[in-house]
Amino acid sequence: MAGLATTFGSGAMTNSINELSSAQVILLSGSNTTEAHPQVARRIYDAVDQGARLIVIDPRQTAMASLAHIHLQLRPGTDIPLLNGMMRCILDENLVDELFVEMRTENYIPLRDLLLTIDLNEVTATTGVSIKDIARAARIYARAQRSVICYCLGVTQHICGTANVQSYAGLAMLTGHVEREFTGVDPLRGQNNVQGACDMGGLPAVLPGYQMVADPVVRDKFDRAWGVCLSDKPGQTLLDMTHGAGSPGDKLRAMYIMGENPMLSDPVLDQVEATLDSLDFLVVADLFLTETAARADVVFPAASFAEKNGTVTNSERRVQYMNKAIDPPGAARDDGWIIMELSRRMGYAMEYESSAEIMEEICLLTPIYGGMYHDRLIDNWGLQWPCSDRAHPGTPFLHKFSFARGRGRFQPASHVPPAEPVDSAFPFLLITGRSYHHYHTGTMSRCCPTLNREHDKPFLDMHPDDATRLNIPDGSRVQVTSRRGSCKFFLRYCQSLAPGDLYCDFHFHEAPVNVLTLSARDPEAHCPEFKLCAVRVEEVI
Amino acid sequence: MRRKQWILHKDHLLPFLRKLRKSRSLVAPVRNSYGDTMYTEMNDLDNESIELAEQPQNSLKSFFFPQREKLCHYSVDEAVGDSAQAYRFYPSLPESRAVVYFGVRSCDMFAVMYCDTIFLGGRERDVYYDARRRNALFITLACNHPFENCFCNAARTGPYLEMGYDLQFTDLGDRYFVEVDKARGREVVQQWPQFFVPAGDDDRQAHYQAALESRGLFRRQVHVDLAVQLLDQGEEPQALLAELSARCQDCGGCAFICPTCTCFNIVDQPLSDDRGERVRTWDACTFDGFTRMAGNHNSVQIISQRVTKRFYHKLRDDVLRHGRSSCVGCGRCVGMCFGGVDIVRFIDGLCAADDKRSEKREDGHD
Repeated sequence: MAGLATTFGSGAMTNSINELSSAQVILLSGSNTTEAHPQVARRIYDAVDQGARLIVIDPRQTAMASLAHIHLQLRPGTDIPLLNGMMRCILDENLVDELFVEMRTENYIPLRDLLLTIDLNEVTATTGVSIKDIARAARIYARAQRSVICYCLGVTQHICGTANVQSYAGLAMLTGHVEREFTGVDPLRGQNNVQGACDMGGLPAVLPGYQMVADPVVRDKFDRAWGVCLSDKPGQTLLDMTHGAGSPGDKLRAMYIMGENPMLSDPVLDQVEATLDSLDFLVVADLFLTETAARADVVFPAASFAEKNGTVTNSERRVQYMNKAIDPPGAARDDGWIIMELSRRMGYAMEYESSAEIMEEICLLTPIYGGMYHDRLIDNWGLQWPCSDRAHPGTPFLHKFSFARGRGRFQPASHVPPAEPVDSAFPFLLITGRSYHHYHTGTMSRCCPTLNREHDKPFLDMHPDDATRLNIPDGSRVQVTSRRGSCKFFLRYCQSLAPGDLYCDFHFHEAPVNVLTLSARDPEAHCPEFKLCAVRVEEVI
Repeated sequence: MRRKQWILHKDHLLPFLRKLRKSRSLVAPVRNSYGDTMYTEMNDLDNESIELAEQPQNSLKSFFFPQREKLCHYSVDEAVGDSAQAYRFYPSLPESRAVVYFGVRSCDMFAVMYCDTIFLGGRERDVYYDARRRNALFITLACNHPFENCFCNAARTGPYLEMGYDLQFTDLGDRYFVEVDKARGREVVQQWPQFFVPAGDDDRQAHYQAALESRGLFRRQVHVDLAVQLLDQGEEPQALLAELSARCQDCGGCAFICPTCTCFNIVDQPLSDDRGERVRTWDACTFDGFTRMAGNHNSVQIISQRVTKRFYHKLRDDVLRHGRSSCVGCGRCVGMCFGGVDIVRFIDGLCAADDKRSEKREDGHD
């Protein structure tokens, strides 16, 4: 989010998902697309069927990597040197789109100077990818007219997540692969409405539509609409809250958590637990009694997605209307109702008759959502923002003719080693991710008998060579220990990892992976390095 | 003896359905408020709109074999301990309601007949299915305009039915041509004779003409017979199956949308410490857990054979067991599958490989 915002001026997918199937080259990084975004994977299959070339950058041999023409199986956390290597090849082979760089971007000279210092042998030594493969990938990506980059959490959930994203954006700008249909840089969002939550101001420094809290004109507009005086101070990020970065003076005293389960999903769970226990008052609204809800003073039973009307906004900035299919069970209510009731009883009456009325207010106050009235979204596939007014048809791809911030800005970056390198005590690098059958902390999916049958145990994937060396048989119980804690898994031999790397997913409360992970985070986006930590493995006897 | 045929004027359709509804529930294709057409139980004939120009997205399967069905509930007497005696089971049978299914497409009618052989054809009748099925009346609608993915002509289930229905309606513009097959259909005509006028030669001509025209309107050519024949001859298209399996995204959508996929799983769901429900849920052979055994052994190589069972079952095993393929050609899996692993793709791939081989053979002769 922060990475694309500083280079392009807008932190969202530049294209539409449908455009993927017409690309000539797709560069996919840090995404297990078939498992996490099957609807995107479908377009990639279509594109490959039609002759597109697929380049995959991933430390694991995912299904997409097996389909790929080139799989750059880099060492985890070495995206920046790999991309610098690719850009160096592009420079050496005169594949830079000079006209584009000249007319549409800025800060190119520092990038070029950096690239000229890159030693490709060193890149190979750091990343574990051969010079030949780097050069081939660079050539294929740069030469095609319609090349597109897709990336996911494998790129962002690192201490250098923002710089990683900026490097991918740099690669796209260097070769002029932005601003047109079928070309661009597309982050795939983790959930169906993460984009919508960000759009609606679910970030510390912005009000809805990325309007800055610090801007007095913006504040004045919202003050008048809501009849209150808003604070000019940005809020805190989730990790600041749960890991108590704030000064002792503004210690957090109460929290209201909706549909989130930080007791399983946030890093260093001990610390999260301590924070939640130290609160004066904790309110949780969720469908089930999650690990977090179990610690709450008050729990509100919330309605599920199928039990309410409203919109969600997906990766491609598409606002889609969802119809209520069934009534909420028992006393469950939708989150909007709960918030309005709370607000009323706390002395501020919110009197919205329907989600359509709330959407009207969003249209009024949020320029990028200016024309997103419910009646325009019903009976179709929705509209993509920016959509400024009722007559606006929506925007399938961004940065047409000009970047949102004017000129695209190159942000040269150098290698940032993982926050916790392996050593003799903790010799394995643990990668975390998501599996096909479960969603996030399994609050919903683990309650479904068929999904749970498909995947009912926490597995730890290990290369057979490592397992043979440690003399641990396939299927054994193993304990994984990091500097912060340990949890138990079932070992699964897996050829798709490089020796020395381990993989597990974080859906299981029986194996709360985030007791292992670390809270080191990206300096700009504050996204923690979920993807990597150093661990050791022992068989449980 | 030629069966009696009738004419029902379109103006009289709603009054006719209203009469039927006096002693039965009515299920028909209804367009809902967000534009989807589904077979739906109608509560209000005047304010819900029957949609006969669209293919219903669901089939009738879930009306007789629901996605999730409680078979019984149980209680555990903790005083007895954890032994088998501690459990008491209380059966829960669905009530056997009289339901008229109106506007049923030929393929969907055929699918019901297939499900009958599965649930009622063996030595043991499935009492849950039987209870829902026993008092059903089917009024089918012959397809004058096949939809985009339809291939019932190739699957030999449509577009017009020759048997199996109670009444078959054919749209002749301002009137329906009505054919009677089963006794229950005849009873309906006898019970409300005021709606039905005997069909004349003109009507029969128009009906024949419509049937001929609809056969020419299919947009797909799917060689179901050739695929069945190749599989019967022992063809094992391993490479094609491996390619399709790799692309299968394991969602189970094909089996769930399929009107003739009848596999299920039975699980006990505890509701509290001392009681729970035994439920039957739809299952799919493409799932890993469908064939996985204790110790994580799986007789199916999921990576390369995930879809094998599904296609073989439809096009080979059911032909051997029941004398015909159990794919009814409704095309729903074609629209549903987002990996492009539908049965049409399999059949096309199988036939294309055969074409290539025969070309090679011919080249060899030259």
